[in-house]
Amino acid sequence: MSPLWSAQMIAFFLISLFILACAVMMLSFRKVVYMALAVGGVFIGCAALYILLGAEFVGIAQVVVYAGAITILILFAIMLTNHEATEPEEPWTVRKALAAVGCFLLGVTLLFVIRGQAWPQGDPSVDVNQGMSNTLAIGEALFKSYMIPFELVSLLLTVALVGAVILAQQRKGDQ
Amino acid sequence: MQPYWNAYLFIVLFLVVGILLPVGSLWLVGPLLRPKNPRPEKLTSYESGVEPFGDAHVRYHVRYYLFALLFVVFDVETLFLYPWAVAYGKLGWFGFIEMLIFLVLLAIGLAYAWRKKVLEWN
Repeated sequence: MSPLWSAQMIAFFLISLFILACAVMMLSFRKVVYMALAVGGVFIGCAALYILLGAEFVGIAQVVVYAGAITILILFAIMLTNHEATEPEEPWTVRKALAAVGCFLLGVTLLFVIRGQAWPQGDPSVDVNQGMSNTLAIGEALFKSYMIPFELVSLLLTVALVGAVILAQQRKGDQ
Repeated sequence: MQPYWNAYLFIVLFLVVGILLPVGSLWLVGPLLRPKNPRPEKLTSYESGVEPFGDAHVRYHVRYYLFALLFVVFDVETLFLYPWAVAYGKLGWFGFIEMLIFLVLLAIGLAYAWRKKVLEWN
């Protein structure tokens, strides 16, 4: 059993704080572009969390796809719309206050349920990768056991590409 | 396990230096060293030497969004290349053919976009 305040524990709390701060900023900002950038911060924090858990490939994938591509996609989508880019401040009402209390109670309930659950734990002395690095194990599984799903991914990506082109072409015809 | 985490200590170090460098040069040390002599021309935003005009918050053409979507699709494709490259020695020709099918399918999508003149700029 590692001590409570090990370096990993401190890193975990710092990263969690960063993620939560970005999430709260995302909800409280009134400018849509700032919200998109805060979402990017959440993605990067999650990547750090994955790396902390020892899943480097998932962490890098998170940076490459989510922090890189998805955030850019959201920003482009905002640029595409004729949005005023600023949302008006909304006043507090009784309904909202009740909703906040409900959310808080739900959070507390979920926390207690999660903490009270006896989660199955693996044997830490067994290496599920059989000595291979994570990326190598993922590659082996992906290209041997999950060959068909992998090829279907390329089909899915192609469909997404063609669909986007068709949608944009139609938009062009309208103008 | 410990050397593994020590490698990430360097990344944290780089992160700290990377944040401190611009903050230090622009906010902390910079104002003490540089002359401060602002004029209206100096305070305009820089637009590659052209005088700035119009508002930046305009509605952009849908074509930009298509480029972003193309980027996402090929970003995901690149991601799959990493485990493939790492496991290549163990997969052999079978893995090579698999990745070839994957790439050819996506190349068809790109060729389609090209044919539909999505990549052209006029």
